Amino acid sequence: MEPGILAALGARAAPSAWLFARCQTPPWHDRGPMIQMFHVYKAYPGDPPSLSDINLTIAKGEFVFLTGPSGAGKTTLLKLIFCAEKATRGQILVGGRNIARIRESAVPYLRRNVGVVFQDFKLLPHRTVADNVAFTLDVLGVPRAECRERVMKMLKQVGLQHKASSLPLRLSGGEQQRVVIARALVNDPTILLADEPTGNLDPALTLEIMDLLMDVNVRGATVVVATHDATLLERYGKRTLRLEAGRIVSDEDGIKAARRMAAG
Amino acid sequence: MSVLAKGTYFWRSAAQGVRHAPFVHFIAVVTIAIALFTAGLARGAWGLLDSLIASLGSQVELTVYLDQAAAGWRAEEVAQALGQRSGLSAHVVPPEEAMARLKLQLGELGSALDGLPENPLPRTVELVIPPGLRTPSELKALAEQARALPGVAAVDYGEEAVQRLSSIALAARAGGLLASLVVAIATIVIVSATLQLAIYSRREEIEIQKLVGATDRFVKAPFLIEGALQGVLGALCAVLGLWAFAVFAGPRLESMFSFLLGPHGGPSLITTGLVAELFIGGAALGLCGSFVAVGRFLRV
Repeated sequence: MEPGILAALGARAAPSAWLFARCQTPPWHDRGPMIQMFHVYKAYPGDPPSLSDINLTIAKGEFVFLTGPSGAGKTTLLKLIFCAEKATRGQILVGGRNIARIRESAVPYLRRNVGVVFQDFKLLPHRTVADNVAFTLDVLGVPRAECRERVMKMLKQVGLQHKASSLPLRLSGGEQQRVVIARALVNDPTILLADEPTGNLDPALTLEIMDLLMDVNVRGATVVVATHDATLLERYGKRTLRLEAGRIVSDEDGIKAARRMAAG
Repeated sequence: MSVLAKGTYFWRSAAQGVRHAPFVHFIAVVTIAIALFTAGLARGAWGLLDSLIASLGSQVELTVYLDQAAAGWRAEEVAQALGQRSGLSAHVVPPEEAMARLKLQLGELGSALDGLPENPLPRTVELVIPPGLRTPSELKALAEQARALPGVAAVDYGEEAVQRLSSIALAARAGGLLASLVVAIATIVIVSATLQLAIYSRREEIEIQKLVGATDRFVKAPFLIEGALQGVLGALCAVLGLWAFAVFAGPRLESMFSFLLGPHGGPSLITTGLVAELFIGGAALGLCGSFVAVGRFLRV
């Protein structure tokens, strides 16, 4: 699949684009690994392990759902990938680099290649939408004019160019989530992690956000989405890892995972 | 990656920080200003003490007493030997001149000296000591040198007075340094505490910066600029305060201490060097305060 062709389709054409991509993209295991975990454990002092013996491989350009009940370890697993937490034991490779042994000073450079959509948005309430999105580029030292141009382009892609000067608190939940996605994507990361990105949204907004994430995936980014919404798994049919009590209990396509969840 | 863009961002961010918490920054600026004003006054007091010591020290004189039997040529020899040291001026005082001075000092009682069968005063050599040699150790060495010369009976230079003066100066300097150190540490603690309040209100911003890939240096830079700006502003206030002090209180103080300082008065309170020191010191205090404060918020 040529990402350029899909990019030319624009964000509004995303639903058809992801369907097309789904039919055309080669199997994930043919493209080399982007994220690998080997016997990974994570435990907080005084608590039972949040993650136990996690082994997984996520290929470059793959779209993966992480699902499971609350407290299953989805958020912790995502945090390990962008080094917000350190594994207690085991090895984690991101883009071939072992981040279990990464130096503290190298973490920022890893994070620049990982866009994160946080469950609680983490938007700065006193800064405009454009400033919030520009935050990522400021860190990279992108000149102001270029920064403004890229921010507006990104806001256009998420359909919020008319809200560039608004403050986040004046936006709806779906719009705020789109700002977060714009911030995560504005520097073209190779990995996008989304933690319950549709958790507080109504069904229509949920699909809008999911289409955006699919579009990002079609453009070549590896996308990992944590969700407990079975309808999303069924609708998009992507590879789904199910976590329970900190362990991966199944690794299958979304339709099967949704049916299993519905069955009980 | 553009250095210019980053620099612009740091300054913009620092300005935003000041706008975000003006009261906290105001407190920090005032704290630094008070500390620097105190330091400036202390420096002024040191300068005053130095000039006082210099004025008292100019009266330091070393007198070499020769044997009663020593002839005039011996006195000239001693004067020549001691006068060879750079800056020293030696003057031979014959017994007749010494007697005349004594009579003058005794006033009406001086006439009693007329009854003496002969002049009992020995020849002396008086040495005027230059400022560089007015330390106790230099004076002692000079006295030892004089004592070793042939025909010298005794040497007097007011050893005790010189030592006391030097001890006072040393104690004043040490006390001043200690007080300055305590004030500097207290200032850093206060500035750091006030800045922590400002940084705390921006902890979410710091967290997001770190999560999108900002290095610690990147996060710290605007806060360090804020700290340095506070320091410079504090220094400016302190310099203005010292200038006002010098203009309004200076003449009154000078007239109060004129009997000690002499006709030329004390040194000027504000000098270019002091202004430069205050600005550098202010920036350093602000930087240290913000450096300590921001370190706590970087662990994300």
